[in-house]
Amino acid sequence: MENGPPPELPVGLTDPSHLSPAETLALIEAQRRVVARSLYVDPALILGAWGLAWLVGGGAGYLAADGWLAAGVPIWLAGVISGVLFAAATLVSFGEQARRGRGVAGPSRRVAAVYGWSWLLAFAGVFALNLALEQRGLPTHLVPLLWTGTSLLAVGLLYLAGGMLWGSRLQYGLGLWVLATGAGSVAAGFPGNFAVLSLAGGGGFLVAAAVARARDWHSERAA
Amino acid sequence: MTVERVLPGLDSVIHAQARLRVMVALSVLPPGDQVTFPRLQDLVGMTPGNLSTHLHKLEDASYITITKAYQGRTPVTYVTLTRAGRQAFEDYTAALGELLSAANHESVEEKL
Repeated sequence: MENGPPPELPVGLTDPSHLSPAETLALIEAQRRVVARSLYVDPALILGAWGLAWLVGGGAGYLAADGWLAAGVPIWLAGVISGVLFAAATLVSFGEQARRGRGVAGPSRRVAAVYGWSWLLAFAGVFALNLALEQRGLPTHLVPLLWTGTSLLAVGLLYLAGGMLWGSRLQYGLGLWVLATGAGSVAAGFPGNFAVLSLAGGGGFLVAAAVARARDWHSERAA
Repeated sequence: MTVERVLPGLDSVIHAQARLRVMVALSVLPPGDQVTFPRLQDLVGMTPGNLSTHLHKLEDASYITITKAYQGRTPVTYVTLTRAGRQAFEDYTAALGELLSAANHESVEEKL
């Protein structure tokens, strides 16, 4: 920095000594906000995508099982709807993580990656267990209860883990709620289990998404 | 020789807007995390040449480490804040806070 500002500096980034302490502090805060916002994984987006998938997917399952609507939703259609919505929610979750973590490596990313793998492993376990039980002659009327119950159990436990990893009471609380929903879905019996999955499960996720969004607004305003 | 007139008590390595921005960006990352050169460039909004110059000054002060790794055949440059760098940045913001409160104090006294 020989005599005067270097030529490359953008406007406003000229001689630093012209900044007062207050201006320097403002610069720090502004830059901090830009970086924090860029790195921030939006929980409301992810929770909202899952909430929608559960609400609509579980709802379709219920309508198909019950034939409650005069028109009725065929089983295969309910399967396709749930499949597409769950795939979309998975893409949203991984996409948001990847976008925010682009170009970042290190301990925090390793934790996030291991957590991501935990979801895959947990559901591999759920599938292996449930398919084995079906093969061993689990009575047909119990099969839907097994699937909603074990899936919700796995999701609940993983949210407890997420809450512990990131010190998030919202995630931990959601984990507890999903565990209760899992027990409730089995208690409700077939086809009520799908209604519980849809309304209590999906609804719980959507409430959590709304809480997360409200918190974000609050902290944006405070900043 | 530098002509920067640095406020008393402030780390002159950090007290240049561009380097300050870099230090802020790196300090927001959790300790130990690294960021690639292009992402850092995005975060601080600087040209590659400019960023590179300032990174080398920070590296000379041991506030950051620059490592080159390979992803397949593509070289990737990672930047990370050292422990000394994080400490220096904390000291810098603390010193800044003191300057600021001293200044506020003076202006209050002037009004009296």
